Amino acid sequence: MPDQEPYEPERAIAGTGMGGTMDLGASEAVTLEQPPGPDGADPRDKPRSLWSDAWHDLRRNPVFIISALVILFLIVISLWPSLIASGSPLKCDLAKAQEGSQAGHPFGFNGQGCDVYTRTVYGARTSVAVGILATLGVAVLGSVLGGLAGFFGGAGDAILSRITDVFFAIPVVLGGLVLLSVITSNTIWPVIGFIVLLGWPQISRIARGSVITAKQNDYVQAARALGASNSRLLLRHIAPNAVAPVIVVATIALGTYISLEATLSFLGVGLKPPSVSWGIDISSAAPYVRNAPHALLWPSGALAITVLAFIMLGDAVRDALDPKLR
Amino acid sequence: MLLEVRDLHVEFHTRDGVAKAVNGVNYGVDAGETLAVLGESGSGKSVTAQTIMGILDVPPGRITAGEILFEGRDLLKLKEDERRKVRGAEMAMIFQDALSSLNPVLTVGDQLGEMFTVHRGMSRKDARAKAVELMDRVRIPAARERVKQYPHQFSGGMRQRIMIAMAMALEPKLIIADEPTTALDVTVQAQVMDLLAELQRELHMGLILITHDLGVVADVADKIAVMYAGRIVETAPVHDIYKAPAHPYTRGLLESIPRLDQKGQELYAIKGLPPNLTRIPPGCAFHPRCPMAQDVCRTDVPPLYDVTESDAERGSACHFWRECLHG
Repeated sequence: MPDQEPYEPERAIAGTGMGGTMDLGASEAVTLEQPPGPDGADPRDKPRSLWSDAWHDLRRNPVFIISALVILFLIVISLWPSLIASGSPLKCDLAKAQEGSQAGHPFGFNGQGCDVYTRTVYGARTSVAVGILATLGVAVLGSVLGGLAGFFGGAGDAILSRITDVFFAIPVVLGGLVLLSVITSNTIWPVIGFIVLLGWPQISRIARGSVITAKQNDYVQAARALGASNSRLLLRHIAPNAVAPVIVVATIALGTYISLEATLSFLGVGLKPPSVSWGIDISSAAPYVRNAPHALLWPSGALAITVLAFIMLGDAVRDALDPKLR
Repeated sequence: MLLEVRDLHVEFHTRDGVAKAVNGVNYGVDAGETLAVLGESGSGKSVTAQTIMGILDVPPGRITAGEILFEGRDLLKLKEDERRKVRGAEMAMIFQDALSSLNPVLTVGDQLGEMFTVHRGMSRKDARAKAVELMDRVRIPAARERVKQYPHQFSGGMRQRIMIAMAMALEPKLIIADEPTTALDVTVQAQVMDLLAELQRELHMGLILITHDLGVVADVADKIAVMYAGRIVETAPVHDIYKAPAHPYTRGLLESIPRLDQKGQELYAIKGLPPNLTRIPPGCAFHPRCPMAQDVCRTDVPPLYDVTESDAERGSACHFWRECLHG
């Protein structure tokens, strides 16, 4: 018996799991289906997974390109600040305090006579390191706990849910003032630890929800009926289908963690001098804002751009991973 | 007997009380034999199948009594990891909707190959070769190329073929097919059923075919078990049941099939609704909808009477099976 169901290109082209759009009205179909690639995308070319589909969308999104370039630049100068700043952020000359822009010192000097340009460049390292490490910690802890709770349910799930409720009730800044003020270490680790401690419940809740949603899919039941173990179900069938919301929330949260580090440093409980952080610089420049506004504007501007870049990146990633939101 | 279900009881704890989904089901299937389990939604046919496979969600589900003997072993007494080795390798299940039963983020080749990497410890490369072989076997054209594609790139019939290939992968002794053709076009239904029947013959498997489509049953089944409100109300060889049903519910089902020789007449429908499983009527559960109901039906639960007339075994859970059979 020959095959009586010819291969249907129009069905195959319709993006991830969107095969059903053909029944919809024309206007809806346009918004739901992914834009046809400029190459005329022959569906036989290469089967596309959710991830390659998302990447395909991201590459064409100007918001993603701009924010990714900004972030790439930030990461490069965090790793090698001397590429664009030759001096030391700790070399200060009180005689030059609050002086404005001059040759070799484009951003001028701050209240202690330190070069604002060099300190702004070096400040990126703290922000980027805290942001990325805290996000990694939050994402790993939150998705493991939330994922297990969502998958197994029962008493463990109930206990975890109440614990997350308790953490949600802690005011972040107040918690930071209380917890971090007793720590004397002047590294980024206490700040990262604090952010992970307060940040994981958010991811845990998201991960729990998306694991519960993914768990109810028929293919999980089908995989179980064909002999897959719990760990295999969780890692191979549920996790890949549940991870997208976690990635989105974590990317957006990264920006807020950077501003949280600056806030805590501004309040004097995050990093303390002689560490270099935008929060410290903003704090020390704030009293002299009338005489030397440049000392406040540059680190604040850098902070704002960095946070914005990560939040924009998160938005772009969300759009790419969840076509339904468009 | 390859598989024997004995006096199985399953209930669900819901907000409205205890829903008794399966109330003492008995059936069996031999190697190479096809048993069709027939019934409306909520009759307990799928729950029974899930219990046999061991994929019932507990809680809310609870198995309160019964045995499931598979080659003489009681599956309900096995530990979970022993049970898991049975699933997929010795018994497998085919689901109704193949699109949602396949993982959208994995290629079909990965999913087919998984059967061999998980149960047989094969390398990924060998498993991929096996996947292509299986796809050829269920007659998917250009298998070598299509093995790299994702489920959404296949048509409905092709996806169900892939599900069948996955279920057959390890040549299990028993296949449970839960409405395997309900989600397909009528033309494709026949092809998929033929394929399933052919593979069953080749591998000499037992097949439990769960369906509410009497048309599908007539062609492939050897015997039929009709379920209502969690019980078997009639069991018979397939041809006997079409000739003369021994239970008013079965008769109602047969009469509600559209027929060409009754063109223009109103289609018969069994009046009323299936019972709420938290409040199953006393006596015969079917009595509120039964045209033959009498007082005894409202009080006494009918046992499964032996109504064997020729050599093949038959049973009917109706006090008035004689009237039904000969009326």
